[in-house]
Order: sequence, then C-alpha cells, then structure tokens
Amino acid sequence: MEVSASLTGSFPRPESVVALTRDLDRGRATPEQVEAGYRSAEADVLRIETENHLSPRTGGYLRWPDLFRPFATSWPGFEVGPITRWFETNTFYRQPILKHPPERTPGALARWLPAANGALPAAEARAVLPGPYTFAGLLDNESGETFPSLVYRIGRLLAEELRELRTLGYANFQFQEPLLVVRPPEGPAAESVRAAYTALGEAAGPADTALWTFFGDASPVFPLLSSLPMGLVGIDLAETVPEELPVPASPRGLGFGCIDPRTTLLEDPVELVRLVQATVGRLKPTRVHLGPGAPLDLLPYAPATRKLGVLAAARDRLGRGGEGS
Amino acid sequence: MTRPLFPSQEIGSLARPRWQLLGQRGALLDARARTELTSWNERIHFLPSEDPALKLLLSERSTEVPAATVRDWGSLFGLRYLEALGLDRVYDGEARRVEMYEAAVRHMEGFTFEGHVRSFDQKYYLKAAATGPVGLTAPYHLEEFRFLKGLAKQELKLPVTGPYTIADWSFNEHYLGRRPGWKHRAARREAQREFVEAVARNAIRPTLKALVAAGCRVVQIDEPAAGTHPDEAELVAAGFNAATEGIDAEFSMHICFSDYRSLFPALLEAKRCSQWALEFANRDTADHDAYAELELLNEYGDHRAVGLGVLDVHRDAVETPEVVRDRILRAAKVLGDPSRLWVNPDCGLRTRSLEVAWQKLTSLGQGARLARAEIAGSAS
Repeated sequence: MEVSASLTGSFPRPESVVALTRDLDRGRATPEQVEAGYRSAEADVLRIETENHLSPRTGGYLRWPDLFRPFATSWPGFEVGPITRWFETNTFYRQPILKHPPERTPGALARWLPAANGALPAAEARAVLPGPYTFAGLLDNESGETFPSLVYRIGRLLAEELRELRTLGYANFQFQEPLLVVRPPEGPAAESVRAAYTALGEAAGPADTALWTFFGDASPVFPLLSSLPMGLVGIDLAETVPEELPVPASPRGLGFGCIDPRTTLLEDPVELVRLVQATVGRLKPTRVHLGPGAPLDLLPYAPATRKLGVLAAARDRLGRGGEGS
Repeated sequence: MTRPLFPSQEIGSLARPRWQLLGQRGALLDARARTELTSWNERIHFLPSEDPALKLLLSERSTEVPAATVRDWGSLFGLRYLEALGLDRVYDGEARRVEMYEAAVRHMEGFTFEGHVRSFDQKYYLKAAATGPVGLTAPYHLEEFRFLKGLAKQELKLPVTGPYTIADWSFNEHYLGRRPGWKHRAARREAQREFVEAVARNAIRPTLKALVAAGCRVVQIDEPAAGTHPDEAELVAAGFNAATEGIDAEFSMHICFSDYRSLFPALLEAKRCSQWALEFANRDTADHDAYAELELLNEYGDHRAVGLGVLDVHRDAVETPEVVRDRILRAAKVLGDPSRLWVNPDCGLRTRSLEVAWQKLTSLGQGARLARAEIAGSAS
C-alpha cells in the first residue's frame, strides 16, 4: 500500500523566531533581521520535513499569524477584527470583519509563502489555505451577503488564488476546514460547500488537493466530505472514532490525522498502524496519507519535531505492511 | 469601607517600563528609559526625586543599582500608577511576574518547561508539561504582597492564576499518560479533572492560605482559559472550590474572551466566588451589544457582583468617557441593579503602552463618574 505523510498546517515558530519577533516588538530587532530569521527557520522546517521523507512539503507557514490574516489584510472588503478564540485552544485569531462583498488582490498572497518552497519541485510544494466554509463561518459578516452565497464567493476567490499559485509552481493544495466538522453545514450551506469545492477542484486541474478537517468528529459529515472533488479527506483521530466513519459511496484518498498536537505524549507507531490498517480494510480508500490531527503549532518546536519522528515511523511501518521496528 | 457606585479596579498586568526591564537586567539605561522614568516620576511621584539610588539609576552608573531595588521600584511604580488614576482596588500591574502562567508554575513541582507556544500574533507563552505529581516548592506571590501591603493607599486585590487555567495551559503528561487509552476523549476528561484538582489542592490552596495569613483579603482567581472547552466548565468550578476551600477571603473570578453562556450553569457551583470579572468591550460593536450577555445571570437568578470590562485591552484606540458611561449604564439596565457593578478593563493592559493604558484608565474613571451622575440624575 502506498502511504505518504506530511505536515498539515503551520509548524511552531522556533525559539529563535520567537525571540526575534519579540525583539521587533520591543524595538531591539529590525524587520530585516526578522525576515532573515523567518527564511532561515523556513529552511530548517523544510530540512526536517525532508529528513523525515515527508511529501509534500510545506516550509511550515511560520509567518502566518492565523489562517485568515493574509486574506483579511489584502482582500478589499475586509478589516482585521478582535482577538477571537481559535476553537477549543489557548490560541487566538483576529476575526476578519467583512464590510463589503470580498474581492481579491492579485499577487498579495505570494509574500506570505515560505521562501524556501521556491526551491522545491512543483509537486512537492504544498500550499495550505483556509477552506471556504471555515473562512466564511468564522468571519464577522457585515456585508449583507447571505452565508451560503459567501461560502461560494470565497470559494471562487480562493480558486483564483489557487490558479495564481499554480503559476508560481505550486501543484499541491490543502484546504483547512475545521468548521466543517465542528459545525457541519446543512441545507443551502451544504450546497454552497459543494459548489465552492467544485470551483476549487476545477481550478486545481491536475494539481493534487486535500481537504483537512480537525477539532471535530468527521463521521456525521463524512458523506459530504467524501463527495467533494478533493484528492483526499483528512480526519482528526483525536476526535473521530474511525469505526464510526461510514463507507463512502465512491472511494477516495483518506488522511489520518494521527498525531495529536494537544499533547506532548508521543503516540505509539505500532498502535497507529493497527488503527489505520483496520480502517483501510473497511473503507478501502484509494490512497492513505498520515499527518498531524491539527496544525502542530499548538506545540512548542521541540515536541513538534519529536512528533514528526513518530509520524514518519508510522508511515514507514505501514509501508512495510505494518511489520518491523 | 465606603465605595462609590461603580467602583473601579484593575484586572492584572501592565506593560513593564523600559527602565525596569533594563535595570533588572543590569543594563545601562538608555536615553529613552531615563526620559520615561523621569517623566513618569514627575507625573505620579512614586520615588523622591532626591533619592540617591534614583539619581544613580538615571546616571551613566545605572548598572550599580541592584536589580532587586529596580524590581521593587517597578512594583511601586505599578501601584502608584493605578492609585494615581483613582482606582478603588489596585495592585502593582504584576510587575514582578514574568507572565501569569510561568510565574506560578515556576513555583510548582512536577512541571517541565517545553518551549514557547504562540497565543496570538507575536505573543507567546512558555508552556510546561506536567511530568510528575503536582506539588509546591514554596507559596508564591508572598514577597510582592508583603511589599505592597506596607505601601498601598487603596485596597489591594491580588490576582492569582487559577487551577483550571494552569492545567489547561499545560500539557498533561503525568495524569493522562498513566491512563490506558489516553487518546480517547473520556480518558482525557478524567485525567484533566485529576490534574486541575491536583493543581488546586497541592499548589494554589497552600499559596492562598499563606497569602491570607500574610494579610491578603481580596483575591482575584484568573481563569482566562475557562471558556476553552465548554464541556469542562464544571472543572473550572471544581478547581475554584478546591483552591479556596476553608480560606477566609473575598474571591472573584476573572474570565475573558469566552462564550459565557457555555460556562453556565456549571460555574454557579463556584460558591465562594463573590464577583464575576468579565471581558465585554472587545466584543462590543455597532452590531452586537455585548453587555446584553449579562442577561445570562438574570436567567439563572445569580446576584453576584460583576466586574464589567469596559476597556478593550487589544486596541490602542482610547474609549471616550461617554462610551464607558454608556457601557456601564447598559449593563446596569440589564442587571437591574447598578450597585452590583464594578468597572474594569477587559483584562490586563500589558499589551498596551503605559501611556495608552493611562489614557484608557483615565477614561474609565471619568466614564464611571458620568454614569454615577446619570444614575443620580435619573433618581432625583
């Protein structure tokens, strides 16, 4: 069985970047020094990903203050709003406030991408973007546009971003959709999710795509997730009981979020392999991918790096059919 | 003690002055730090200008001033700053504490620091894992309290990070890892209960007992993590009860950036809590009347005092006294009893400059006066 593994979102900032960004706030570092720090740290994350044979690779998305900031600060129609809790974590995002129907600023996203990704082969560089449902659902909508319409509109804008990223060499796209499992869509909202992902799938063309869910149980919404035109669907095993996942109508790639960033305890690769094999035997996905259950930036840098080692060990063991050390 | 209607209080931290940061590190004060120290001392007179040690700190020999002296002055500065603003309950802006989580955990046994985790933007906290049974090396905050007790002109309210927040902001290796099937939600929940109660009983309660024995009468239990996991609200109350059991003091609970509705009715079980000190201003917008959320307390028939957040601590824009007044009056109307209201910032003002915090707290005092006048006017 072909098994791959990757990061599925932001990696923690290393202590060097923590110190630099703090120093910037205190007037003890220059923006140029911070930029150099980011570049060096992104290269380090890429090296860690490479050493663990992760594929695709991300560069860690260390610069993003939150999942929405690159868009909230560059797309006309948005303002950056109050500090808001990021699901059930002790981290916060600044809620985008949508004043008018959103537009897009061509070229604005490029500066947020890890610089080191430019050196990767196209199929190896993953762009991690907010999913349209989560984006629309977590912003403060003062635009007057209905929610289903907004989901679709954001989906189309993200599709334009995706097309532009393809011209920059990206051929792998992941959409972060925690809200799809925390607050599953119903009725017109579910239809708008389908329409938005159809637009994203068309824009992706031959590029690989993934929709990653976390912080919630994917079982109730799994039929919808499995019907979207994405290469694979990721689930958070800390919240989803795999035995409860319904068999999808048509097989699809399955992403196992098997490394929990909410604890420093290390998972047992043998146990992970057993869990994945049991689920694969039942759901028969077209391919299997392993990743963290949620972005690893809920951990400090060192424990996150240790967890990647477990991820790689589980992947290797699965690739060998579950045997070996 | 006689207090005005809508008495005012701070919530916790203030930005640390540059002169304190440099002085504590043993670094030479630069021109900016010297100007800052001089100008604030002219405003609030927290040190005699002829003090030889102050003159030394302002000179090219500033590194000769002991770090402990600078730390004491930082604490005194925070106290006098808040007193000069006319607040009814004060502390020192947590001037001696590294940060509300780390400052407490450093005094506890069973924790190992793992590294920094981002809270938001470029703000981080040093996060620890409980790798063994939680204990206490020695009661903490005693030094700062004793220092302030001898100097305060207003009533002191001592902020203590609550057990639920300590547990939630830590990784729970010890109590979770020893359970079979630790990845399952039920196991996580029970391990968290064990962890919260261990922090409460083994570390915070002995600290509170020592503080009360030293003369502390008013304690604010800070639980900013309370709303993180709505299904764990009962653990917040259980931790509060375990920490305060048998201790004779006035306790309040500070919660912020949370969905308060998700915490009730579980939080009502925190019986020794006499005041909810809550954030509202950050979420108060043209389209959302945050203060209407207080209706929640009416629904549960809860008549405790409310510390009303009327200043957004995450924005530099200074609320006008009229905005503060209107927020107070809206809250008073919802509660139906103005006498239950205290006014305060949403949270600690550490993320704002001292100048911005000063302007905001000035507005708070003026707004409270305007609100009092409004109430008095409508009553006459």
